[in-house]
Amino acid sequence: MTPDDRYYVTDVPPETPEPAEQPAPWTATTVVGRPLPRIDAYDRLSGNAIFTADVLLPGMLYGAILRCPHAHATVKKVDTSKAEKMPGVVAVLTDRTPGADIPWYNTRAGALSRLFDPHCRYEGEEVAAVAAETPYQAWDAVRAIAADYDVLPFVSDPAKALAEGAAVIHDGGNRSGEVSRYSRGDVDAGFAAADVVLEQTYSTACEIHAPTETHASVARWDGSRLVVWDSTQGVYPIQSGLMATLKLPASSVRVIGSYMGGGFGSKLSLSKHTVIAALLAKMAARPVKIHLTREESFLAVGNRPPDRMTVKAGVKKDGTLTALQLAVLGTGGAYPGGGVGGVDWVFRDLYTCPNVKSEMTDVFINAGQARAFRAPGHPQGAWALEQMMDALADKIGMDPVELRLKNVPSVSQGRGGLPYTTTGLKACLEDGARRFGWQEARRRSTADGPIRRGVGVAAGLWQGGAGGPPSTIIVKLFADGSANLNMGASDIGTGTKTIQAMIVSEELGVPLDRIQVEWADTATTQYATESGGSKTVPTESPATRAAALDVKQQLLAMAAAQLKTNADDLALKDGEIVSAADPSRKLAVTGLTALRGRGLVVGVGYRGPNPAGKVTCPFGAHFAEVEVNTRTGQVRILRYLAAQDSGRAMNDLTFENQTQGGITMGVGLALTEERILDGNQTGKMVNRNWHDYQVPTAMDVPAEQVVLPIDLHDQQANSVGAKGLGEPATVPAAPAVANAIYHACGVRAAETPVNPRRLLSLLAASKQRG
Amino acid sequence: MLPAFTYARATSVADAVRRLAAPGARLHAGGTDLLGCLHDGVFAAGTVVSVSRMKELRGIAPIAGGGLRIGALATHAEIAADKGIAASYRALAEAATSVGSPQLRNRGTIGGNLCQRPRCWYFRGEFHCLRKGGDMCYALGGENENHAILGGGACVVVHPSDTAPALVALGARVRIAGPGGTRVVPLESFFVGPDKTVTKENILERNEIVTEVLLPPAEPGLRSTYRKVRARGAWDFSLAGVAVALLARDGRVERARVAFSGVAPVPWRSQEVERAITGKALTPDVVGAAAEAGVKGAQPLEKNGYKVPLLRGVIAETLLSMA
Repeated sequence: MTPDDRYYVTDVPPETPEPAEQPAPWTATTVVGRPLPRIDAYDRLSGNAIFTADVLLPGMLYGAILRCPHAHATVKKVDTSKAEKMPGVVAVLTDRTPGADIPWYNTRAGALSRLFDPHCRYEGEEVAAVAAETPYQAWDAVRAIAADYDVLPFVSDPAKALAEGAAVIHDGGNRSGEVSRYSRGDVDAGFAAADVVLEQTYSTACEIHAPTETHASVARWDGSRLVVWDSTQGVYPIQSGLMATLKLPASSVRVIGSYMGGGFGSKLSLSKHTVIAALLAKMAARPVKIHLTREESFLAVGNRPPDRMTVKAGVKKDGTLTALQLAVLGTGGAYPGGGVGGVDWVFRDLYTCPNVKSEMTDVFINAGQARAFRAPGHPQGAWALEQMMDALADKIGMDPVELRLKNVPSVSQGRGGLPYTTTGLKACLEDGARRFGWQEARRRSTADGPIRRGVGVAAGLWQGGAGGPPSTIIVKLFADGSANLNMGASDIGTGTKTIQAMIVSEELGVPLDRIQVEWADTATTQYATESGGSKTVPTESPATRAAALDVKQQLLAMAAAQLKTNADDLALKDGEIVSAADPSRKLAVTGLTALRGRGLVVGVGYRGPNPAGKVTCPFGAHFAEVEVNTRTGQVRILRYLAAQDSGRAMNDLTFENQTQGGITMGVGLALTEERILDGNQTGKMVNRNWHDYQVPTAMDVPAEQVVLPIDLHDQQANSVGAKGLGEPATVPAAPAVANAIYHACGVRAAETPVNPRRLLSLLAASKQRG
Repeated sequence: MLPAFTYARATSVADAVRRLAAPGARLHAGGTDLLGCLHDGVFAAGTVVSVSRMKELRGIAPIAGGGLRIGALATHAEIAADKGIAASYRALAEAATSVGSPQLRNRGTIGGNLCQRPRCWYFRGEFHCLRKGGDMCYALGGENENHAILGGGACVVVHPSDTAPALVALGARVRIAGPGGTRVVPLESFFVGPDKTVTKENILERNEIVTEVLLPPAEPGLRSTYRKVRARGAWDFSLAGVAVALLARDGRVERARVAFSGVAPVPWRSQEVERAITGKALTPDVVGAAAEAGVKGAQPLEKNGYKVPLLRGVIAETLLSMA
């Protein structure tokens, strides 16, 4: 599975009507690009914003799910008789309940499981569910369900999944899909031509998305129509998932997104708890809310797959890369989860290299299914490639920034050499190094004493980030000059609503506080794909601009009729329509008779296609300065700079926020986060709680974080010149920190997270070697 | 989700002690540990007996004739902000500051910090382990990276408290109220390791309460410090920590008390380190030898071997900071 498969409909080409003509790029902007606070900041901070977890409906019940406590087991018997009689219990759902026999984990070869499959392949797999008057009653009832299990042997180490005698997770064996292979050129010839060849194995631990708001769904039936409030990155994919599982037409499924507290890829598609809420609500004939506990969210709603990456790389003394070879072993858990998807992309595409070969093996283990996680595969691949680049630079005595600059490609080699619409990789490296004071900082590093200081650099790109059709946006301008923006996309905390409103404001001159946004509701907003893949801004913005321009054209036509002139002669500025030929002839928008007579003007905008034969990708380069305490293995990041090329920076403030979030997640990958399974004994996750699973705190991220937007307007990519940002902002972060650690203390941290345990072990080993 | 329990607010220490005699009764003060244990099903509670509003258990005040009394309900935030503690018992102020997060320091109490249950993820998780009355310690053969290198045995938890080693180093005592009245014991002998029992971490009976912590008068020139290493910059328990209290004269250590956090089932007093520095100046050589003495006898498990160099490193850092 490539990242693209996750974010787009793949069986038919995306389609929205092309605009009659693409509007010309903006030459200057007055609203777009400014560092403006979010239009919903007050609502978010004051508590006015209603998240799914906050939804309270009259008569609403609370659902809770019984989950398998074993890593691998078959359910022999589920006795719910006691639970059914408990106070407050209204509905109990098991595999035997009529209508609950819903196939799940669908593949081309058929479904691998069902909603409550008696073969539980991971700890946390769903066994039964209850709806009750209060959450406490629901959980008491879940605890009262007597489930008998046959505990089966398990496998939790991907390296052992294919071994003889390993626990069998699926009938076809523990290989998840075909081995993914890629090759261009001749790596053997490349290694032969190299002056230096290095080989190293790197690995990244499994990470949990850990959004602030855990997954939540509220389901209500209005007769035969289902209404679902869902904490989701895309209401339309949830709608289509519900349509397929419950066999309902689109007109009978309404999904409301509203505010949501983070997803990072774990809320892109339909989860079992949403269907369970719908089934319980139907049984009870009352609304049902299911809000997953933190513990459940660690087990059952996705993770970043762990990957083990063996890299061999060749370089000439002058810095020319001659060959890159990669072997990956990864796992997406107990069901196909893209365990290696996207890992080799940076190897294929980030640097000019004629000879590249990758082989990626995805296996099943007894653990929760992986889901897309902020730039699927890319942070893992970058962890390996960017440390290898550092090692190569070290070996040939070249500055690591210079080695990277030496190999900046202008075409996408992974896509057969198609040119990029723009590439800011060079600018990210050069401008970033200059602003960071790279040269001086490298000289300043200390090599003796227990506290060592060092700097590191890493670059990255994101395979997606171009956006594309389909998208339909509606902008309404009311007779009083205020506006309404109607879009189906979710704002997953990134500022989508704000940026789209800024575009309307830019084109129509309506102040932001007079623009209302309706979003993420399948009944009242227009079709949109999920907010994932760093594509929301480049997908929705051109459609929003087109919709605003559609409104503008209609206003100018109305004004032309009223002023008895030609529309070509008129321009809209600051709420007034003015004649270019005779600036004294002007008219306030609110003075348009036709607008007042009609009440409003409706503009429709569509996302047109991307330019043919070209590739649009965002790039970035990160710089970190760290202090390593060689006595304790503690790493402190002193300062950090992230240079990002995401085309036009639509709002410098949300741009900075997004990038800081990316840095923080990268710091978590590098230093603190790791799912730990009890591999020797039970296969259960031992650190499924907030304090043992360590998301970085404010004390772990650098106080000084400089975000440098390269602001290279990509005029070919789309009509606003923007590319995606959310995912590329995290790709280079972890290896930048690791390279700084190496520079500081001479130890190559090949495994994440680089906590005191790992670093002290490495330091001790390096001391022993002398 | 919390299981059902009855809640009772005790009106006096005697009332609390009486109520705690009921089977399944549990004491509640700040609740930061108790509610987590109940939520996670580590143990159940029939009645939760709360002393959280009892004024007589609050407060930080000098004792007539010298020393300091800290009420068991004093929060970490109060202790961390107390000027007298910062001046005379610095290790305690530093330990209180290093506990958890601001929210936990605002709610968590010193009494609770001394009596909290271990953070072993098997004990806290869905594992019927030895400490919960089961028949095996899962950490011995499992994921034991955070576990004990000193004083382990049938169970290898580490004591999670930061304030306990600081108070042991400072020679603190605790007052315990029970059905027969009160008794005062040195904090050092308050804790019990797996050699005595694996089902509790201190000498308290079910109907006993720690009511106050008593610090001896701070001798002129007494200096103390606590240094804790954790994997995350906040809201994290000690992987290894060192509390030191010492008196120096003419550049030489006259007397010292040293205790470790994060490496043993109890706050671990290290007379080995004390001996290695007593009568000596804290030169790099002396400190190196003391650090070595501190890890002597360490018995690392499969995944916590790093704690040996870590403890050595924290001892060295801490002592050098006092030189």
